[in-house]
Amino acid sequence: MTGRPADWIELAVPPTPKYLQLVRAVVGAAAGSSAGAVSCLDPGRVADLRLVVSEAVTNAIKAQGSVGVPDRIVIRCRVEFDHVVVEVADRGPGFDPDAVADLPDVETPERLRHESGLGVALMQRLADGAAVESGPDGTTVRLTIRPG
Amino acid sequence: MQFDVHRRDLPRDETVGGPAGVMLIVLGDLDMAGAPGLRQAVVAEVTAGSRLVVLDLTAVDFVDSVGLGVVVGALRRLRAHDGDLMVVCPEPRIRQVFELCDLDRVFDLHVDVESAVDAAVNDAPPRGMSA
Repeated sequence: MTGRPADWIELAVPPTPKYLQLVRAVVGAAAGSSAGAVSCLDPGRVADLRLVVSEAVTNAIKAQGSVGVPDRIVIRCRVEFDHVVVEVADRGPGFDPDAVADLPDVETPERLRHESGLGVALMQRLADGAAVESGPDGTTVRLTIRPG
Repeated sequence: MQFDVHRRDLPRDETVGGPAGVMLIVLGDLDMAGAPGLRQAVVAEVTAGSRLVVLDLTAVDFVDSVGLGVVVGALRRLRAHDGDLMVVCPEPRIRQVFELCDLDRVFDLHVDVESAVDAAVNDAPPRGMSA
């Protein structure tokens, strides 16, 4: 992990699931401690941040795995006095965020056939901002978390 | 905590008159790294003839959408064999993730193993969707 311009914390991990726990630990520690100052996020919101970042990195691992790209996934975190921003950048094939299909209603039999597709919903419900920039050279997801 | 899944048969007197049952105790983080281990354990149990699985998430520190997907898949596999799944989930943070995805309308989320086994033995009708 290195300090990037001024107050960014940057982490680059291989695109394999075993690094998810490390990413959650680093981002959670950064957001929870804020370099000696009092963090703007309570433990519950730090837990929300850990979850949405984990979802974004999971999607990045899947994206790069789908085309066999071994490049590291880059996670950048910046802690402000009233919010935390995390960016997750991959070198996958990109996707259209507006084309993500909705899941069937939770009480219909069809829903049981879908074991994936909940990650985007979790990010949208827990993050105060979830912006996606995607193209053929990769995707960057920018997540913003504010105090609850 | 290193991810792991432990199993133990449900005591005979707790499953009298019901399907063959087993408890799967999950330890660690139920994410993309850990979820395949749970999926493998559930498939093995269903293949071996278990029709009732009590999934104990008491020692799970973290669950994400991949982990939830494996739990959904476990329910589908069991319902396809006229079985059922009970989930033990006392930790509010883990329970909240189920609730955020409306999956608390699908699963019986129990606060302890005893209530999960009791519900299974009493053969409460399945909630939500069926296979």
